[in-house]
Amino acid sequence: MRIYVILLTFLLLVTVFIAPGWAEVTAVKAGRILTISGEPITDGVILIEDGKIADIGTGIEIPENATVIDAGKSVVMPGFVDASAVQPVRGDLNEQSSEITPTLRISDALDPQSKVIKRVVQTGVTTLFISPGRQNVISGLGVVVKPTGNIPQQMIIKDEAALTVVMDMDPTQGNRIPRREPAVNFYYRRPGTRMAIIWMLRKSFFDAQQQADTEPISDPNLAILSEVLKDEIPIHVNARRAIVIRAALKVADEYGLKLIFQECTEGYRVAEQLAERKIPVVLGPFYYYPGSIGQYREGRQVNWNNAGILAEVGVKVALGSGGQPDTIDILTAATFAVRHGMDRDEALKAITITPAEILGVAERVGSLEKGKDADIVVLSGDPLDVTTRVEKVILNGKTVYQ
Amino acid sequence: MKSRSHITFISMFLIVVITGSITHAAPVRRKLAVEAGRIITIAGEDIKNGVILIEDGTIKAVGKDVDVPWDAFVIEAKDQVVMPGFVMAHTSSGLDRENENMPEVPFISTFDSIDPISTFFEDSLRDGVVAMLILPGNNTLLGGTGTIVKPYGRTVEAMLIKRYTGLKISLLPSPNTSRMGHMQRFRRYMSELKDYLEDYEQRKADDEEEKKPFDEEIDVTKQSMVDLLNKKLTAFIYCNRAAYVPKALEIQKTHGLKTVLVLGPDCYKAADLIAKSKLPVVLAPQLIIWETNEQTNEEEMKVIPMIFHRAGVKFAFQTDTSQYGSRYLWYQAATAVKYGMKRAEALKSITLYPAQFIGVDNRLGSIETGKEATLLFLTGDPLDAQTWVDQVMIAGEIVYERAKDERLKKLLEPPLKIQEPKDTD
Repeated sequence: MRIYVILLTFLLLVTVFIAPGWAEVTAVKAGRILTISGEPITDGVILIEDGKIADIGTGIEIPENATVIDAGKSVVMPGFVDASAVQPVRGDLNEQSSEITPTLRISDALDPQSKVIKRVVQTGVTTLFISPGRQNVISGLGVVVKPTGNIPQQMIIKDEAALTVVMDMDPTQGNRIPRREPAVNFYYRRPGTRMAIIWMLRKSFFDAQQQADTEPISDPNLAILSEVLKDEIPIHVNARRAIVIRAALKVADEYGLKLIFQECTEGYRVAEQLAERKIPVVLGPFYYYPGSIGQYREGRQVNWNNAGILAEVGVKVALGSGGQPDTIDILTAATFAVRHGMDRDEALKAITITPAEILGVAERVGSLEKGKDADIVVLSGDPLDVTTRVEKVILNGKTVYQ
Repeated sequence: MKSRSHITFISMFLIVVITGSITHAAPVRRKLAVEAGRIITIAGEDIKNGVILIEDGTIKAVGKDVDVPWDAFVIEAKDQVVMPGFVMAHTSSGLDRENENMPEVPFISTFDSIDPISTFFEDSLRDGVVAMLILPGNNTLLGGTGTIVKPYGRTVEAMLIKRYTGLKISLLPSPNTSRMGHMQRFRRYMSELKDYLEDYEQRKADDEEEKKPFDEEIDVTKQSMVDLLNKKLTAFIYCNRAAYVPKALEIQKTHGLKTVLVLGPDCYKAADLIAKSKLPVVLAPQLIIWETNEQTNEEEMKVIPMIFHRAGVKFAFQTDTSQYGSRYLWYQAATAVKYGMKRAEALKSITLYPAQFIGVDNRLGSIETGKEATLLFLTGDPLDAQTWVDQVMIAGEIVYERAKDERLKKLLEPPLKIQEPKDTD
């Protein structure tokens, strides 16, 4: 009996000690590696262990037990980071019970079986920022996820990543001013003007400021807002027109808020101010002309080179797909940004490391460096060539698409 | 002596006036020689460092060893790629309204509706489109006849290439009708038309028998349909979904129509059927659609041009503004190349094939001797996203220059520093 116990313990010990030796090692060989963080590597190797990059460079010895992925002459890049991604959630994105809902978490509605997640992975996107809808003034907390896993917890890499605030006219959509009949309909209550949107925002932060010294804060909404005031949670402000961006800057000054702008269609008109305040932007869907697509009725001026102009004056620019993955993939966004005048390297950063930095997950994703997550995209050629295909996507060291 | 000097003076004055008016009326130089870094002829192999000789707006010679006549004006394009202008075989843009609100209006024409100052034409020229067939929209059963225009000119008459070409038949049920009702309406129209034509022929025969002069003309509201049956017009049959394709083929067969199919993205399911019919096809602007595989529950990307290409269908691309690149014909072609289509074939799908479909391939679609000198001067390879159209030449005349495109400059350059408080809603 005892001998069995000893034997069993011995066997267990052996497996425990040997197991790391059996850990999955994958080596990716490629003709060209764009690390984004540093110089491109020609004929390099990426060594992946436990879903992390163990080593990267030229002349690395590949262990015998490693699975080798030979990408041949292909170009290898870090997986793309989409900071205004499509929402893989079940149900509506907009909570209609109130306009100010900072405590809502989109992570509660995540759907790992969502179709869009399977599509988005095929376009090379390996990290997504998902925010609640745009019909509330303060619509809730966003989450950073990877398009993998069977349950939401496996997807999430950073919950409560940012608070989404909408200053565009979206929250007024469909709202009416009550005339004769009593205000019973939901649409009778919400803001009808830009003034009201900004007033609601101001009032929320004012209340939070008033409560800031009381401990503990009884209202959970105000608790979240006071965390924002303390810069513990960044805020993403959806603003398209220059007038809205300026209004947001004013509110930010009043309450000492640190902003990140989303969409920012007319950002090029306030580029200097944004650069001066070091406010990063996540550019949303691209429009050739205002009003050419139903969604963008606000604003009359677009500049095709919005990204280029902003980057030129030193604004941190991320390019997002704007939540339309089946029509626009993020690599095309970078390709066209370069066509319209953005710097090549800047554009590649704008879909990898810059959004990762903006979302606060740059220590894990966004570039190919030792210790970072092994999120790798294998491309058939130059990333900014229209005829280049995504050949393979590796997520956390596992091939998820080819 | 005095009178002679008068005559000399008058004749000299006349010469000045006449030559002045000629140059004013036709700023086209008679003889041109384009020296290009690369010529994509479409008709054959690409030519490196070739010359295109142009006389009166027509291509006289293309090749490597073409002698440039002493009196030809030389256009240097050594670091540019020269190719034929893009042709769009089907569009409903540039109209003030696409659809008439009655289902059977074969007698109307887009010629009356084209808006020359629409930005669509300006954009088209900037993007390298030199000819397009503008047809009525897809919401009318018998939508009316089309017009081929170039996107250059201040009036429709100046833009005109060919009037009265193509007739739109849309199998997409009109609002408030079922598919059954829609097809029934078409059949009823055709049978009434047949009856009318029989009556007409009868009257004609009767009058001829009685030796009376017969001067009755065909009803103007039916004329275009009669021309369709006589193959004077091409039917552009729009199928939104694969289920309508067999109906379209049936219509084509029963009435013996000259047909081009205009397809929605879903029609890829009928690719084999279409291949068998050998009809030319205009693809939907959306080239990639996603579908869920019922067995594996995986999301699959369907690349529509590749499905048709493999089936052996000859097709042309069209554009819209729904996506980044879908407004550019070159991008549509590049997308097909991305998923495996041959470059040469993809380039034909935006030049020669659409020109054939709309019947202007005797003038446009390739760089060949005898064709119109309608050329694009590109900064690089046509399928590269970093390439711009530098110049557009239509019939020997440069009609677009990127260096002088103020609007494009405004769209790409940072705005001038404006006074801050000027921003009003």
